[in-house]
Amino acid sequence: MSIFAAAFGFGLVSMSVIAVAAVGFTMQFGITNMINLAYGQVMISSAYVAYYINRAGVTIWVGMIAGAVFGAVFSFLLNRLVYAPFQRKGTSHIGMVIVSLAVSLMLANLLLPIVGYFSVSYQEHAGNLVRLGDIVVTNNQIAIILLSVALMLGIHALLRYTRLGKAMRATAANPTLARNCGIPTQRVIDMVWLITGALCGLAGVIAALNSDSFVIASGAGFLITALAAAVLGGAGQPYGAMIGAVIIGLITELSAAAWSPEYKEVVAFGVLVLVMVLRPQGLLAKRGALAAAG
Amino acid sequence: MLDRQPAVAHSRPAPSLRAEGITSGYGGVPVIRDVSIAVGPEEIVAVIGPNGAGKSTLLKSLIGILRVTQGRVLLGDQDVTNHPPEELARRGVGYVPQVNDIFEPLTVLENLEMGGYLLAPARIRHRVEEVGQVFPALPPMFKRRADKLSGGERKMLAIARVLMLDPKVLILDEPTANLSPKLADALLSEDVKRLAGAGKAVLLVEQRARAALQIATWTSVLVSGATRLEGPPRDLLQRADFEELFLGAAPGRSAAQQDEEENEKK
Repeated sequence: MSIFAAAFGFGLVSMSVIAVAAVGFTMQFGITNMINLAYGQVMISSAYVAYYINRAGVTIWVGMIAGAVFGAVFSFLLNRLVYAPFQRKGTSHIGMVIVSLAVSLMLANLLLPIVGYFSVSYQEHAGNLVRLGDIVVTNNQIAIILLSVALMLGIHALLRYTRLGKAMRATAANPTLARNCGIPTQRVIDMVWLITGALCGLAGVIAALNSDSFVIASGAGFLITALAAAVLGGAGQPYGAMIGAVIIGLITELSAAAWSPEYKEVVAFGVLVLVMVLRPQGLLAKRGALAAAG
Repeated sequence: MLDRQPAVAHSRPAPSLRAEGITSGYGGVPVIRDVSIAVGPEEIVAVIGPNGAGKSTLLKSLIGILRVTQGRVLLGDQDVTNHPPEELARRGVGYVPQVNDIFEPLTVLENLEMGGYLLAPARIRHRVEEVGQVFPALPPMFKRRADKLSGGERKMLAIARVLMLDPKVLILDEPTANLSPKLADALLSEDVKRLAGAGKAVLLVEQRARAALQIATWTSVLVSGATRLEGPPRDLLQRADFEELFLGAAPGRSAAQQDEEENEKK
């Protein structure tokens, strides 16, 4: 069995996890102008919500829904109670980044006494092995891949075909003109935080499920990977984030097989730096989902 | 020459929208002071004046983008001072900004759909067809991204977008700013005039003062944030000091130069 085929299988799972995280992150930036550095911490908090439900004997797939709901509600409240008031006061872009960093640190330290230092893992049978040629994946991993594909199609349909999704793109493109059209931009932005928060929560649970075990500090790694995929694809562009996730997911796993797993993040960020040097606006700066087709 | 001669001088319809002595500006520094203006059905009210006179500030204050610190804005007889822009859109005030007047990454059709956001979904499709009949050049471009349009097409889309809600009051901020003189003339003397003819109250700001005066039914000259004079365009054009008032603020033009130009015209 080729080690690269196996790595390709892991890459498929990795990119699925990263895509969910990166699309949520990039939509928050693209539509609400918020670089939310607390994103990774909300991901890991949602993973813990799912963990406690799972530990009570409930399947992780139910825990995953709870994680998504937690992520949605938490992100909505985070924006309403913290970010939006600062933005209304005219806090600068970099100021908002610092605010989100502060939220991230507070969240991590609030979580610590509750969940402790030790790494935990979900009680879930990985499922049977499925062989597709040289690629071997578990049933759970296939479920993660299918879930991610379904979510990406759902986001595409939302942005392209629904009234709410088009209003999100209009608000992203020109918030003042959106208000002149009578679009209740405040409600649209609330919906953005609910939807991206649900993606964030889901991503946290599937990222935790896909790693053998997790700790609070895993949140930082989640954020960095989502950020890399989002920036690689063109900040604020959902389709760009999807492509970024495919590239980051594949390269990390292939480099782990070819070289050493220790260096896989180094390789991923090497690629990110290279793309940034050659194309600072990201791969899809002009043609993402927030833009129209064509 | 003006082709519209009011039968009774200064007789104007009851205003659809009016501002009474409003003061507003950016960050607490007033840009306009104690400005009053009114526009009624079938009227074209042109606000003219040199750069930096506060014309755009006045429009933004009327539609709730900028905060009015003194005076009030009335829609019909209801006070809408500092009401949010989405409410004014709902109540029949349409605004086309000078720049950022369309949703660039959206298609032409999506722009119109957003213009009709407040309509029932079934009504939107119908209204898109109606607006497409007003601007027949638009429907063939429905699938195109709005940022791929030319300057003229873009302004057409911006006006079509605002017509989606069939506003009673149309507020246009320098609609001809990025157009060639020929397109500018066509936009003002055909499209804008037609909209007023259809019963809308049109309030517009124009740099092309002469072109605006050709179609306006009432004119207000704004200089340094205050109304310098107002009246029917015919009266304004007949004033000996009109050129000086309006063009005096343009840099590099002396009165002597203007006299020369006047002589050349004769």
